[in-house]
Amino acid sequence: MAVSAHEAVSPGPVRDHTPPARRSGGRGRSVLEVALLTVLAVVMLFPVLWMIETSIKENRDVYAIPAKFFDFKVTLDHFRDVFVASGGGPSTLSVSFLNSVVVAGVSTVLATVLGVPAAWAYSRFGVKAKKDQLFFILSTRFMPPVVVVIPIFLMYRQAGLINTQLGLILIYAAFNVPFTIWMMKGFVDEVPPEYEDAAMLDGYTRLQAFRRYTLPLLLPGIAATAVFALIFSWNEFVFAIFLTSSDNVRTAPPAIAGLIGGTTVDWGLVAAASVVFALPVLVFAYLVRKHLVAGVTLGAVRR
Amino acid sequence: MRLATAAMLVATTVAACGGGQDDGAKASAPKAPATIPELTKDPLTLSFIWFDWPPAHALEAFANAEYKKERPNATIKVNTVPNANWHDAMFTQFAAHKTDFDIPILDSQHIGEAVTNGNILDITDFVKTNIDVKAYNPYLLAAYGQFPQAETGKRDENASLYGLPLLGDTWTMIYRKDLIGDKPPQTWDQMISVAEKCQKDHPGVSGLAFHQANGSDAAAVTYNTVNGVYGGNLWNAKTRKIDGVINDAAGQEAMDVLVNKMKPLTAKGSGNWFIDEVNAAVAQGKACIAFNWIAASGGLLDPKQSTLGTTREQILDKLGFATLPSQKTNLVPLGGMGMHVSAYSPKANQAEALNFMKWFERADIQKKWAAAGGVPSRTDALESPEFLNAGPFNQVYTDSVARMRDMWNVPEYARLVDIENTNVNAALNGAKKPKDALDDIAKEQQGVLDSGSRKGGGGL
Amino acid sequence: MSDPAPLTTDRPGQVASATPPARGRSRRLSDRGLAVAFISPALLLLLAMSVFPLLWALYLSFTDYSATRGGPAHFLWFENYTAILASAQVHLRALTTLIYVVGAVALQTVLGFTIAYLISRRTHGRGLLTTLFLVPMMLSPVVVGLFWRFMLDAQFGVINSMLGSLGLGQVEWLTRQRTALISLIVVDTWQWTPFIMLIALAGLTAVPKYLYEAASIDRASEWFRFRTITLPLVWPLLLIAVLFRAIEAFRLFDLVYILTSGGPGVSTETLSFHVYKVAFLGFNTGTASAYGILMVLVVIVLTQLYLRYLNKLKED
Repeated sequence: MAVSAHEAVSPGPVRDHTPPARRSGGRGRSVLEVALLTVLAVVMLFPVLWMIETSIKENRDVYAIPAKFFDFKVTLDHFRDVFVASGGGPSTLSVSFLNSVVVAGVSTVLATVLGVPAAWAYSRFGVKAKKDQLFFILSTRFMPPVVVVIPIFLMYRQAGLINTQLGLILIYAAFNVPFTIWMMKGFVDEVPPEYEDAAMLDGYTRLQAFRRYTLPLLLPGIAATAVFALIFSWNEFVFAIFLTSSDNVRTAPPAIAGLIGGTTVDWGLVAAASVVFALPVLVFAYLVRKHLVAGVTLGAVRR
Repeated sequence: MRLATAAMLVATTVAACGGGQDDGAKASAPKAPATIPELTKDPLTLSFIWFDWPPAHALEAFANAEYKKERPNATIKVNTVPNANWHDAMFTQFAAHKTDFDIPILDSQHIGEAVTNGNILDITDFVKTNIDVKAYNPYLLAAYGQFPQAETGKRDENASLYGLPLLGDTWTMIYRKDLIGDKPPQTWDQMISVAEKCQKDHPGVSGLAFHQANGSDAAAVTYNTVNGVYGGNLWNAKTRKIDGVINDAAGQEAMDVLVNKMKPLTAKGSGNWFIDEVNAAVAQGKACIAFNWIAASGGLLDPKQSTLGTTREQILDKLGFATLPSQKTNLVPLGGMGMHVSAYSPKANQAEALNFMKWFERADIQKKWAAAGGVPSRTDALESPEFLNAGPFNQVYTDSVARMRDMWNVPEYARLVDIENTNVNAALNGAKKPKDALDDIAKEQQGVLDSGSRKGGGGL
Repeated sequence: MSDPAPLTTDRPGQVASATPPARGRSRRLSDRGLAVAFISPALLLLLAMSVFPLLWALYLSFTDYSATRGGPAHFLWFENYTAILASAQVHLRALTTLIYVVGAVALQTVLGFTIAYLISRRTHGRGLLTTLFLVPMMLSPVVVGLFWRFMLDAQFGVINSMLGSLGLGQVEWLTRQRTALISLIVVDTWQWTPFIMLIALAGLTAVPKYLYEAASIDRASEWFRFRTITLPLVWPLLLIAVLFRAIEAFRLFDLVYILTSGGPGVSTETLSFHVYKVAFLGFNTGTASAYGILMVLVVIVLTQLYLRYLNKLKED
């Protein structure tokens, strides 16, 4: 059985008795552990907090030395600048956010639509050289993006896909399909094939059985897989910067990178843009938090 | 294959022998018509590509306001990419033989690469019939358009032109009048000792701030500037020699001045500073003397970004802008960019692009461009009150025009500048000894030039 | 035996099985059809977008092709490969990459496991804690790189400002050879420790409680329990996590591009970053392709060796 992340994340009822450590280890140790955990949490979260703080500071305070932690004037101007251009109308950043939504959204849907049925087929049927196929599928993700970008570029040049959203969607989908297949195969393996067999005895075809009985059980897994695909396409930088150049195609990561290297860095704007950009992913991740473990382990967590 | 190698050898030799007109590779750039073809009456978007900085936004606003008066059906779009990605973004599209821009704004040194690969139009004939070349300092026309490269300060009237000036630029010295006095230092040595004294007298303020980063052309321009001031040369264009030229006695002295005299006067950890960081240091009152591109200095007068004052006037009470000090020569770095016509954009757009360039180089438009915050190139515009009153650093530009020197604009530019950037940056940050860094630059750059005509192999 | 063959004899009265043979055959056929129909679109996409480009790169790697200079490609065969393997520049980048991969992965494994272990011993607030610790992993490398660059700035960065308040001097985080590489490792560790933590947490919560209970009856020491029960059960998972991270770290590009752009000098240039320069500064496409192929080979070979070692570990 795969370890459901549910156990990992929620303080569920399994653990409502005092763990053995408490009984023997004593109080001092427990306090020490809490203290250590707190320190680690502060260290890990400080940059995020600092980013949020910078996003609501005036630029004059952003550079202040010593750094101002509390006594600064709060402003929401940077958040306005993220969406509204200085002359009115939508800013290039907001256009790039929309592009990110389109590119990441469509490529995630595409990867899911292609990957889930394939995962089901790999799980259910005896496919020739299954292991090799699966390793091959995974190994396509080993390639450094900087290397792939050269032949992809040459290929797109022939196909006229350079500087198009379709080009980015296709490459992101191709990067996400292996992952989707591996992760979803783990989830499909969990669903007993007997459900489908029983349905077929009732006269359903295999496809109908899959759709009516297996698919609904897979939905949480699909959601978790899709979030990982989304995180990848949402955050991807290398392909985005080498395959696109115009404002109306470019996604947010290169657009945010473009905020520096001009003449002055508006760190408040960079921070605000980063916060806005990170929010959707964080929200989605929070919604499927119970299935994230299975995601990062490509379904490898099983006993 | 052997034949090809032989052909390349010949081409190299030809180039070596003075880079004459019939440089084999050069024939590949397609020609633009001498007169502007009939323009379309349909709506048309004329696209530029530049990196993300204020002049790009200024250009878009200016062109849409002014050019539309003449051509109501034309819309101007200036696409911007991150500075670090500027060269790659343009040249990958050139490589695709399909560009989403009609007018690439190339750095002056990119011309060689674009011309050799046939990416931009040869506009020699167009310039002859449409542009009043006498209205310009010849070197400005040459620097932003000519290939093969002109001698510093001159223009070869027989050479072909591939672009026209869009935005002039050079370094300005920014100094704190309240810390070092109203009169800017005149020689480089003097500048260093003033900075030294200022740093000593004002704890927390560093003597100097300049570009040291290893990206773009940051550290390279810095070294080249000092190299020029101390009488050095980057290369011998005729014999295509770098080794023995850049690292000659003058070059060594320049490197020594930069690393051992100037660097100790900069802020700790400033070894990755480029335009933004130098501006930030000035705005935060942390530098006595700073060097930056004029086109990037506008933000310094913005009270919102500055701790030097709450109004533009207050800031100007403290900040002075001057031409660079001179030493053995008075050379200053040539910055800025020219506009070119993509060989891959549709005919109607190319015609519109030519029309735009002709319009842009008109005397009245150049003055308006100056008033809108741009840096024009026509001499009359440079001396006009519209320009000189538009910014406190504009006089600096006008005074610097006759003193400019550019880097190599050969096709191998991107690699040459990377070698110089990384090595100068290494020397500035103690990762290499100054002399070793300079010798490595010479050796590696020479290697690139010598294997320059090899196609895909090499390049490590 | 579900083999339908013997049933296709001329004995119509004998059809007694629940599924009629004709249906059985068509079902098997449609199963295969379904498998093909379900798998092939995904494989086709991979063939077009991953395999074909890789093969193209393989072809280019034997030539002197340049993406910008046009003209036909000439075969150099293994010249590009020997040039790369012999290049001192490449050796330097390989060493940098090695230090970075080992340093970053080791650090995040230790930290990630520690955090996971500490969380797994809490009874309350584990869900919230886990979610909070995950945030860095969800951010774009661009955002992470930019923001750390801001925080690590020697003059205006918050890190040095805090060190200053503690009475310590300024540290040149990004502009000294050693500290720049360390900064790179630290930032990568910051972003990816949650990944290891998540996997380790999965392993830790999977340890059956009766094992602990048995051990606690035996009055086994804490350390003994950890060493004999916890670690052996989590170890294989942790090794997989290490593999994933090592592969990712080996091909690191974006963080270098934004945080240090390889500096000072070239001291934080990774192999990926060097490939980028070869590919896009000189457009030496042939060389860059060979370089990339070599990197892929290294990953595949090392992964295979590692997986083999892992399987052996499982068998023992």
